[in-house]
Amino acid sequence: MTTTTKLTFPRLVRSELTKQLSLRSTWIVMGVTILLAVGLSGVIANGYKGALRRGDMVASIPDAIASAFLPIDFVILILGVFGVLQITGEYSTGLIRATLTAVPRRLPVLAAKALVQIAITLPVMLVIAFGSFFLSQAVLGSYGASLGDAGVFRAVLGAAAAPILMGLLGLGIGTVLRHSAGAITTLVAILFVLPVLIAPALPERIADDVAKLTPTVTGQAMYTLGGGTESFVMLSAAASAGVLVGWAALFLLGGATLLKVRDA
Amino acid sequence: MIEVQALTKRYGDKVAVDELTFTVKPGQVTGFLGPNGAGKSTTMRMILGLDRPAAGQALVTGRPYREHAAPLTAVGALLEAKSIHKGRTARSHLTSLAQTHGISRARVDEVLGLAGLESVADRRAGGFSLGMGQRLGIAAALLGDPAVIILDEPVNGLDPDGVLWVRNLLHGLAAEGRTVLVSSHLMSEMAVTAENLIIIGRGKLLADTSIDDLIARVGVGTVTVRSPRAAELRDVLTAHGATVTSVEPSTLQVTDLPVEEIGELALGREIVLYELTPRRASLEQAYMELTREAVEYR
Repeated sequence: MTTTTKLTFPRLVRSELTKQLSLRSTWIVMGVTILLAVGLSGVIANGYKGALRRGDMVASIPDAIASAFLPIDFVILILGVFGVLQITGEYSTGLIRATLTAVPRRLPVLAAKALVQIAITLPVMLVIAFGSFFLSQAVLGSYGASLGDAGVFRAVLGAAAAPILMGLLGLGIGTVLRHSAGAITTLVAILFVLPVLIAPALPERIADDVAKLTPTVTGQAMYTLGGGTESFVMLSAAASAGVLVGWAALFLLGGATLLKVRDA
Repeated sequence: MIEVQALTKRYGDKVAVDELTFTVKPGQVTGFLGPNGAGKSTTMRMILGLDRPAAGQALVTGRPYREHAAPLTAVGALLEAKSIHKGRTARSHLTSLAQTHGISRARVDEVLGLAGLESVADRRAGGFSLGMGQRLGIAAALLGDPAVIILDEPVNGLDPDGVLWVRNLLHGLAAEGRTVLVSSHLMSEMAVTAENLIIIGRGKLLADTSIDDLIARVGVGTVTVRSPRAAELRDVLTAHGATVTSVEPSTLQVTDLPVEEIGELALGREIVLYELTPRRASLEQAYMELTREAVEYR
């Protein structure tokens, strides 16, 4: 061997990448997600175009962007689950023991998994975000928006970034809970149940302010234009991105702490 | 070399491992024995830093496992069979582990060959039998060419061929000067695999001994004596303190008298012997004796 046999962080990242890429399911999930997300954006754009032609709606850039990125609302769930399974899959098979025996300091494992999560989902999300945008705007033709329109490029990047952050959030939840079913249920609760519960559960004067901070709404603020409706105004895209990064960081740090102190 | 020093583990108010102290020396196979639930796996996991001890410490080649710069070359471990993602092939599984330490693909092929897994290396592990899973686990343990090898119940699920393979492999690894610690709840397997035994029960050390010493400690059992003048010999032996029973007229089962003395006494009386066979207490009996108290009924 030309190099010394020892544990280094770049080698660990390489190892985690091999783990993900050597699973057929990784390729299938990413491929199907691309096809579904981009394909649906074309179908939705076509429906919107029909409504415009019939005069049911008035053409606007926010609506053109909404038709492109409506499918991102479920892409966040797919990537979140992918993030969960990256770690809970190791606990369910017992592989985590082999992994932590190879890397007894443990924390680098989580850092490497987070990096690999980004490395795999970033190219996928760029394809989805730009693919959805260009396909839907091509379908819309003259009703469509262009990348140069105010805020549009930001929304496309937001559509790519929000699901990646949800993937990291999922990785954090998975590390905290360790069991696939429990972690996925928790993820679904946070993404889809929490936003619905807030309005009936909280006093009216603070309900909206709290709702703006949920991962789902902050994510949506990143890939929409216009910031919600007249009655409900989202945080700005940048502020929302900051809050969502905070959510992902919170769960990852919680997971890191537990990973360090718990028996494996 | 593995040094376990006053290692203790509690789960709630239940003490799983209780101030356990022992040393595993290089160059020989050390069997780690105890009834189910004795704390063998927990001890191994603490040596590897997977479980946090309540007190005490374990050193591997002089330092705690997690302080090694190349953990896989310090210790190779098999903790449970089939700890592999079902969708991954044996080769990818080993490759991903090897990559953490920059271990070459050639070495991955080598351990696949060692474990007899070449033909299934590119099959997904979901379809592996328990035995194949064990072989893969052992292959993973050998990846880093480690100085210390720790295997938890490695022959579980193996066919007779596989059992023999593990036995020879362990002997070979020990002969190369490595430290080999292998757990089992079967004395019969350890009797032919290990030179040294560490026996625990309810988390406490019961014996740290060589196989020979263990047999000696339990003492010689009975001596079978066959003679045409058995009845006469019987009286002589009884007179010298022996307890004699007899199933057939010409055969005696003698206890409480060393085999040498029986021979001398027979010679002294010019009684011809057709057979003089010491029946040593089996290791199995010795082990049962040691652990009887500690067997946990759950």
